[in-house]
Amino acid sequence: MALLEVEELSVWFHTRNGVVRAVDGVSFAVDAGETLAIVGESGSGKSVCCYSLLGLVPMPPGRIEAGRARFAGRDLLRLAPRALRGVRGNQIATIFQDPMTCLNPFLTLGEQLMEPLRQHRGVGRRAARARALALLDEVGIADAERRFDAYPHEFSGGMRQRVMIAMALIAEPKLLIADEPTTALDVTIQAQILRLIAELQARRNLAVLFVSHDLAVVADIADRILVMQDGKVVERGAPGALFRDPQHPYTRKLLAASRRGRKDAAPPAQREAVIAVEGLRTWFAEPHGRVVKAVDDVSLTLYRHEIFGVVGESGSGKSTLGRSILQLVRPTAGSVRLGGTELTGLPERQLRPLRRHLQMIFQDPYASLNPRMSVFDALAEPLRYHRLADRRSVTAQVLALMDDVGLPRGAIRKYPHEFSGGQRQRIAIGRALATRPEVVIADEPVSALDVTIQAQILDLILALVARHNLSLIFISHDLSVVRYLCDRVLVLHHGKLVESGPTETLWQAPQDAYTRELLAAAPMLE
Amino acid sequence: MSADPLAQAERGVSLWRDAWLRLRRNRLAVAGGAVLILLCALALLTPWIAPYDYREQNLALGAAPPSAAHWLGTDTLGRDLLTHVLWGGRISLAVGFVATAVALAIGVLYGTVAGYVGGRVDAVMMRLVDILYALPFMIFIILLMVIFGRNLVLLFLAIGAVEWLTMARIVRGQVQALKQQEFIEAAVSLGLSRWTIIRRHLIPNTLGPVIVYTTLTIPSVMLLEAFLSFLGLGIQPPASSWGLLISYGAETMEEYPWLLIFPGAVLSLTLFSLNFLGDGLRDALDPRIARD
Repeated sequence: MALLEVEELSVWFHTRNGVVRAVDGVSFAVDAGETLAIVGESGSGKSVCCYSLLGLVPMPPGRIEAGRARFAGRDLLRLAPRALRGVRGNQIATIFQDPMTCLNPFLTLGEQLMEPLRQHRGVGRRAARARALALLDEVGIADAERRFDAYPHEFSGGMRQRVMIAMALIAEPKLLIADEPTTALDVTIQAQILRLIAELQARRNLAVLFVSHDLAVVADIADRILVMQDGKVVERGAPGALFRDPQHPYTRKLLAASRRGRKDAAPPAQREAVIAVEGLRTWFAEPHGRVVKAVDDVSLTLYRHEIFGVVGESGSGKSTLGRSILQLVRPTAGSVRLGGTELTGLPERQLRPLRRHLQMIFQDPYASLNPRMSVFDALAEPLRYHRLADRRSVTAQVLALMDDVGLPRGAIRKYPHEFSGGQRQRIAIGRALATRPEVVIADEPVSALDVTIQAQILDLILALVARHNLSLIFISHDLSVVRYLCDRVLVLHHGKLVESGPTETLWQAPQDAYTRELLAAAPMLE
Repeated sequence: MSADPLAQAERGVSLWRDAWLRLRRNRLAVAGGAVLILLCALALLTPWIAPYDYREQNLALGAAPPSAAHWLGTDTLGRDLLTHVLWGGRISLAVGFVATAVALAIGVLYGTVAGYVGGRVDAVMMRLVDILYALPFMIFIILLMVIFGRNLVLLFLAIGAVEWLTMARIVRGQVQALKQQEFIEAAVSLGLSRWTIIRRHLIPNTLGPVIVYTTLTIPSVMLLEAFLSFLGLGIQPPASSWGLLISYGAETMEEYPWLLIFPGAVLSLTLFSLNFLGDGLRDALDPRIARD
């Protein structure tokens, strides 16, 4: 008998708008030393599935309609809240996506680490401290003794995730539930954390339930994979067989979205520079006199009709580079030329009419749209402001834009919150195109979206670039996306240009050690 | 609502039009608005509909309970209470709405500019607010009254000039949070001017807290007027306001309870209506809180 056996689990949400079958008749089993990956997009029920085992689903509106979850001889779904608390954090531990929000910013790491031991086991302070130190060491925190009394904000994202793992393991659980534990991390850090989880699992004979939206991430670590869609398991199997011969159309769709392939190297017809950046520096002075060199001496040229990728991890300065080119952040030194016009140092008043030609697509379509503006308002504003449309033609032009980005015409009066993430991004793209720009800078435009939606938006961007003769700077941390989309790439690290060149050349023969590390760390489905 | 969204768009879609459509469906808010309109209409028509002259006394009658001749009774000087509630409503509603409108206009604009421009401008503007906060409010008003004489317009201005400070702070805080949002950056990169960004992107998004604070300000302004009048700095008998009527009524509540009950009831009715309308407006102006 397996460690955890879930049978016909159904969790429904009873909302005002009807019943949502978040989890609908799901069965699976995990044994000690085994990793089961549950893969699905947002809303597939993969997280609800795990949280309902721990009694962490808000009820109401949630309700466990049916099913059994046998864990170590007991049915988790029928345990009293008190008994369940004894299981949670003790026999079953959880690590979450965002380690920052899961750590209490007012307590030192040491205190937070010792808490479960003292809570569940009644271990004394001294013993708990020794145990916590040993574990910090085990999860790869150097100099654990000194870091013990540090606060969460003093750690990087990857370090915090290590601490979270230490915290999860401190009570020696039998089952670890990892809910998108690497989604918020950089690729190189992600690779380290995945390796760490695998090591710890082997050493402790842990059972791991690994929840993810990304097939490529689970490919290497999962023993078995469960693909979920709309609350149901649509396919299950070992990774090799699943990737080689997917049965369900949804699995195939997911795989296709993850295996993006590469861009055909089309030699640009003419090499006319639209944007020329030279020696760009954007430094920020911090309160204590420290200077953060977010962008440090970067030069690039964007040619007409080209898609230029900027790749880097968080903190590499890639977003600041994009904003500095647009003069949303004023650079400290260097030059940015649009056609023949120098943009740096231009007063805002003179810059404003030029802004039309340079547009931006932002990462988070939830934050980049004014919640109080309908689609019509959002798209009509730039048209009217720049006198590209008059009172009579504005509706027709808005509708044309909506057609262009694939929004249904009937949605014209709706507000952003009524749309899904992908559709919101379409609105944001439409707004950027409204001013008929020459250059668009897209800052991680798909990283907040589900994989299948990502594929749609990327194809939309490709189509629009061709249709409107755009030149695009595409900023991303996701190497597979960049390879699919970009003609040339620039790699940024700590604000400095590491390497740049045609995409495939860089992929096949990376010159710099950092580029090689980055490429090696990226999870790929081949 | 017509079923054709395209036809609607032709007529111009705006937050305000949508808000109006949503507000109309909120029964409590509509009722609150209707009561307020009724009260304002009564206040405007008072000179023609008041049953008695507000200066008329009838010492022989004294304080009489409600009767056919005096629907709400009379006060100790034999003055008709209904007449005084009507005349008092003119003053109270005018003070409440005008002073709050002054506070709203100054506070929202000032707070938005300070919050959005930021840096040194913000520091100077907010220190000014701090200084005004620190001024003892009563002395400020007494000084104004002493220098310029008692004057109703001055009273409006004085109260408005004090109430905008909190409004400015609330709005500034909101704007500081909002301007970090990407949609403001998007507006900048569209090439919109600062003023357009403030007007179209910032102010509409601060409306929620502003409306709530406004509905709280109107009653507090009405009570402030009563306090000033009580000190002899505001309205003087035989003119009256609801606040004054209530404070006199409170003195004699054991003997003549109707002198407190009726003015109190009218003020409460106003405050209830304001709150319902305010909540309705806040919801109506936020497209995310759609009821359907």
